[in-house]
Amino acid sequence: MPADLTPHDKEVRRLIFDTLMRTGKAPSSAEIAVALAAPHDTVRASFQRLADAHMLLLQRASGEILMAGPFSAVPTAFQVHSGGISYWGNCIWDALGIPAMLHQDAQIITACGDCGEAMQLTIHGGTLAPADGVIHFAIPARRWWDNLVYT
Amino acid sequence: MLLFRSEEHIDRWCQDWNQPHGATLTLQQGWSLAQLWYGPDRRDPAWRRFTLDEAHAIFASLGLTSPFWDLSG
Repeated sequence: MPADLTPHDKEVRRLIFDTLMRTGKAPSSAEIAVALAAPHDTVRASFQRLADAHMLLLQRASGEILMAGPFSAVPTAFQVHSGGISYWGNCIWDALGIPAMLHQDAQIITACGDCGEAMQLTIHGGTLAPADGVIHFAIPARRWWDNLVYT
Repeated sequence: MLLFRSEEHIDRWCQDWNQPHGATLTLQQGWSLAQLWYGPDRRDPAWRRFTLDEAHAIFASLGLTSPFWDLSG
């Protein structure tokens, strides 16, 4: 059972998502510490509690953000362009989740998971433009968090 | 979760990677699921993850009611 989030944890979370939504880039724990004028260790502790609560996935070696759903902190096969900013989604669900979170028009640039043929989806006015394609969930829902990178 | 050109491409991917066929969503189901899942503002201090019942209700609203979508256990 993860510990309850503190007001500081929620402020860190707000800043993480605010930065991702405005810039497409995940802030480092050091950048958040500066922005909040908080000790670096307390921000890293907040990162861990947010990860324990399954709100973030951290990079194992550095402890920095790897995923803050729907955003990926590192390049993936799911690029999203919206409002002149480029984002990375963790999967096709998350790539669709980025315009859903931004409430903005977007283009999703990806490829067929089988053959690599380029594929593009467009969100305009809250509607998905007609396109060919199907989404495959390989992992049953109860196992998603066993290995989120694989999922 | 990957995007494929068609069911035939999913079948080939499953064969090539020795994976069982999972669940297939239409693009519209995927977009609706993304809106329901990621629409709430995660910057809001009051934001929290969905409970199991809430998540199951979202899946059910899109017709996703098979054991594949059961988050418990």
